[in-house]
Amino acid sequence: MAGAALEPRPTSVAEALRAARRQAGTYNGIWSWIATVDHKRIGMMYGGTAFLFFLIGGIEALVMRLQLATPNGTIVDADQFNRLFTMHGTTMVFLVVMPLSAAFFNLLIPLMIGARDVAFPRLNAFSYWVFLSGGLFIMSSFLTGNPNGTIFEGHLGAPDAGWFGYAPLTLPQYSGGHGVDYWALGLVILGVSSMAGGFNFAVTIINMRAPGMTLFKMPLFVWMTLVTSFLIIFAMPVITVGLFELLFDRLFNANFFNVQAGGTPLLWQHMFWLFGHPEVYILILPAMGIVSEVLPTFSRKPLFGYPFVVFSGVAIGFMSWGVWAHHMYTTGLGSIANSAFGISTILIAIPTGIKIFNWLGTLWGGSISMKTPLMFSLGFIAMFTIGGLTGVTHSVVPSDYQQQDTYYVVAHFHQVLFGGALFGLFSGIYYWFPKFTGKMLNEKIGQLHFWLMFAGFNLTFQPMMILGLLGMPRRISTYSDGYGWGFWNMMATVGAFMIAASILTFIINVVVSMRSKERAGNDPWDARTLEWTIPSPPPAYNFAEIPVVTALDDFWHKKYIEKESGVVVPAMAGAANGEEHHGDGHGIHLPSPSYWPFVAALGPVIMAFGFIYDFALVPAGAVILLIGIYAWALEPATEPE
Amino acid sequence: MATVATHQDAHSGPLDNRKLLMWLFLASECLFFGGLIGTYLLYRDRSTDIDGPFAHDTTINGIHYTGIYDIPFTSVSAFVLLMSSVSMVLALAAIQRNDRRGLQVWLACTALLGLTFLAGQAFEFTVFVHEGLTLDENLFGTTFFVLTGFHGAHVSVGVLILLSLFVMAVQGKLTHKQSLNVELAGLYWHFVDVVWIVIFTLVYLIR
Amino acid sequence: MRLGRLSVRYVLFAALLLLSVLLFSGCGVFSSPQNTFAPEGEVAKMQRDLFVIVMIPALLIMIGVFAAMIYIVVRFRRRSDSDPIPEQVHGNTRLELTWTILPTILLIGIAVPTLWGVIKLGNQPGAEALHVTVVGSQWQWTYEYTDAEFLDANGDPLITTEFYIPVDRDIALEIEALDVLHSFWIPKIAGKTDAVPGRSNDMWFRADSPGTYAGQCAEFCGIGHPQMKAELIALEPGEFEAWAQEQMSGEPGGDGAETPESPTASP
Repeated sequence: MAGAALEPRPTSVAEALRAARRQAGTYNGIWSWIATVDHKRIGMMYGGTAFLFFLIGGIEALVMRLQLATPNGTIVDADQFNRLFTMHGTTMVFLVVMPLSAAFFNLLIPLMIGARDVAFPRLNAFSYWVFLSGGLFIMSSFLTGNPNGTIFEGHLGAPDAGWFGYAPLTLPQYSGGHGVDYWALGLVILGVSSMAGGFNFAVTIINMRAPGMTLFKMPLFVWMTLVTSFLIIFAMPVITVGLFELLFDRLFNANFFNVQAGGTPLLWQHMFWLFGHPEVYILILPAMGIVSEVLPTFSRKPLFGYPFVVFSGVAIGFMSWGVWAHHMYTTGLGSIANSAFGISTILIAIPTGIKIFNWLGTLWGGSISMKTPLMFSLGFIAMFTIGGLTGVTHSVVPSDYQQQDTYYVVAHFHQVLFGGALFGLFSGIYYWFPKFTGKMLNEKIGQLHFWLMFAGFNLTFQPMMILGLLGMPRRISTYSDGYGWGFWNMMATVGAFMIAASILTFIINVVVSMRSKERAGNDPWDARTLEWTIPSPPPAYNFAEIPVVTALDDFWHKKYIEKESGVVVPAMAGAANGEEHHGDGHGIHLPSPSYWPFVAALGPVIMAFGFIYDFALVPAGAVILLIGIYAWALEPATEPE
Repeated sequence: MATVATHQDAHSGPLDNRKLLMWLFLASECLFFGGLIGTYLLYRDRSTDIDGPFAHDTTINGIHYTGIYDIPFTSVSAFVLLMSSVSMVLALAAIQRNDRRGLQVWLACTALLGLTFLAGQAFEFTVFVHEGLTLDENLFGTTFFVLTGFHGAHVSVGVLILLSLFVMAVQGKLTHKQSLNVELAGLYWHFVDVVWIVIFTLVYLIR
Repeated sequence: MRLGRLSVRYVLFAALLLLSVLLFSGCGVFSSPQNTFAPEGEVAKMQRDLFVIVMIPALLIMIGVFAAMIYIVVRFRRRSDSDPIPEQVHGNTRLELTWTILPTILLIGIAVPTLWGVIKLGNQPGAEALHVTVVGSQWQWTYEYTDAEFLDANGDPLITTEFYIPVDRDIALEIEALDVLHSFWIPKIAGKTDAVPGRSNDMWFRADSPGTYAGQCAEFCGIGHPQMKAELIALEPGEFEAWAQEQMSGEPGGDGAETPESPTASP
């Protein structure tokens, strides 16, 4: 009681809400977005931006598929092709799947744990603006990254050394121009954004949970976000070191990857994959969390073996640090290292398998409603099963000598990152869309979207598995007749355009649904977690009153009563939202809007341009960053009432 | 139940948000410096430049080369940085007992010691460059300057934070209610100090 | 919602139909000069066999999971909104332990052949092996025959841009790179090994029958990567000796004392 007594206490909840509304309207129009620190608005900006990047990355993929559809393709030349596949990988990993996951963290975490915002709302805004500026920075390499001229003179810029950027191909003597500089500097900037997000969500989840929400009453998505945040916190510095070393080599003639001076290119690979394998789980764990929320809701059953699923997620988080060298079997690490990493790769399949079986266990005996969100989650399980099993084949070191760097690997990781992560994310989009817009996505168009995407996906990537076994290497811009690869490549290209059609269907669905006048209501799916207790879309302050949590799936337990016989009946009407009032309304403190995170985020990107074009810009960018940070640190975080 | 509910925005964790953030940040920094130190150690004896300056005394083909490291000098600057951690502790103690004057003195003292360390590093770098060791000269120069340079950059940021706190203290904007600010700066400062002890041991002392 | 269920079946049938047509028609879409499933050498055979050993249980598990999923979705589908709420089963520790331990055992089963294969490939090739240093550079492979019989008067090895070997003899490779990473790969003969600047990686293989085997660089190495082919020509030992003699005599240093004797080494 002592802590609460310090708070100035408005006389009623209504007054507190009015005060919160007044305060939320400090800025209008576009400024209200630039200065926003509301996690829901930031989440939507993350999602929208990532989706635009997704379209760009998708177009890159389509061009590549057209090029490879037949032998001796002539749509693009080798140089352009290299730039396209580099940007496709970089875009999809860093500008699409990671920020889409971040969008879900932003939208959902405070709502799921019963908080009014994240722990550091302005840091959160900073994360977004840095992500946006870093993304635009990398994209701007298309214009001027080519050593022979700009895109206006017909020279496609962009980095050309692969999203993995293996040294020494990234050194200036092998990759001229500024493409790789853009890439490395851009990834450093995006790393800052991800790390800021990782810190923010780790602190939010550890510290900001509603009363009564112990760790083992957290929704599974919150758990997976926590694990992901820790992976980001620890993995990002490793790649940052690698990128700094590369940049020193490129910009200042340092010798980290200079073989003549005694450096070794393998250092880069170790650093990249020491980051890169946890990164794979950074991409997939949030989707696993989404699926673990969707399945219980649509089968009206709790997640089967919640502790097992939690622990397997945590175990994956730890084990992801011990498998990086399975990307490097063929680099000559020696039999002992290869055996060790082969076995650790075998072991990481165990917690992954547990999850799949537990998901099936959740569905078993349920009352399954085949709505679009569930369809995407089922698609996730099916495709991820294939992804996981093909992953196990990579643990067999000798046979991996054949599959390494072939289309088999391309098929495998798309199975995990597209069939897995993206299907999971789309499941989440269909599931939570009504919560944040107040409108349902159209169910019929949604089913069409799913089946188009599912069929297109399989048509694209299963042939790639066969192509890999038929000996087609990755990253080749063309292949001649007589290799027997034409048929499967054509199939994959057709599939790719089917996927494109499915994405178009999705866009149409969003437009149609947003125009519909039908309102979704607070709880359209009969769901189980806290975000469904509040209006759709949620008010700026989220919860008029901070909920008190008594159980896992708390909302469900407020709606339904389980009798001793195992029969479940609805609780009495009104009990769900009519929880007894705790009497006093407390002051609702919303963080004030601030445009300083936006200003601060301009700093790093200006510095990055400086490193490429004119060092004089570097201190200028640093000063802007400092001004932003100082102004941000000195302004009051919450407006006085 | 009602008592729990009245703790609005109750923190279920034992640590303040900002302190937890700082600890996580430092954990992340461990990996950052781990990567740089790992690179240095991996490349320790791989430099192919047999004429360039050597870190330690070396004899190759009967020719003796004097090591470039000036251990006594660097020991002194390491000691200076170590002492700055002591004054940092005293600054925190001062603000916690609301001793405004003590706070100003010890913050200034910590910042000055930090600046002294940076001056020492600048001097050391200058000497090395004059003796022919540069970033692009050989693998040793590359790994040495990047590792110690990044550490120096961290110290510089720390000094900037300390000076900012000092100005706030002089303006009277830093009272014991804001002692967390000093505590957080202290956590960062001690971390940077500990990292230097690791670097000093692994890079300078161990041969 | 009947539509959704029907389309599940349609898609499944269509996929099965397509798959079986492809599998049994044998209409040539599964053949390629780089087909890893048509090995022509001991190493590639072993690698294919290991893959199949893992692929079969993996396919069985996949079919099991898919079948279970379809069965569950069909059986437990919500017929109407008035369906009773199912029993809230939170888990079953014994069941969960079972599906933790069973895969663990299965996976350990995979570890055994893996280790066997790693050890076998890590073994040194036989004493009578032919030693060749393969050097990758942007964008071609060169081959240095470093055995004593291929050295010229100055002690320099025979260097070629075509890779000739005898059949039924271990070939021991040292793989190196001059500029960026490359990866040496002849799919029908053996899996790949990376060429890393500043390093020398070992690899060995053996070709079973004479022929020309296609291969290509498997590590991205710049604009010329798709054109960086590696062709392996395996000859009967006698023919190989003849080829070697011809190469040696063609060399400026190969004349004089080493002029050809008739091939005595042929079987």
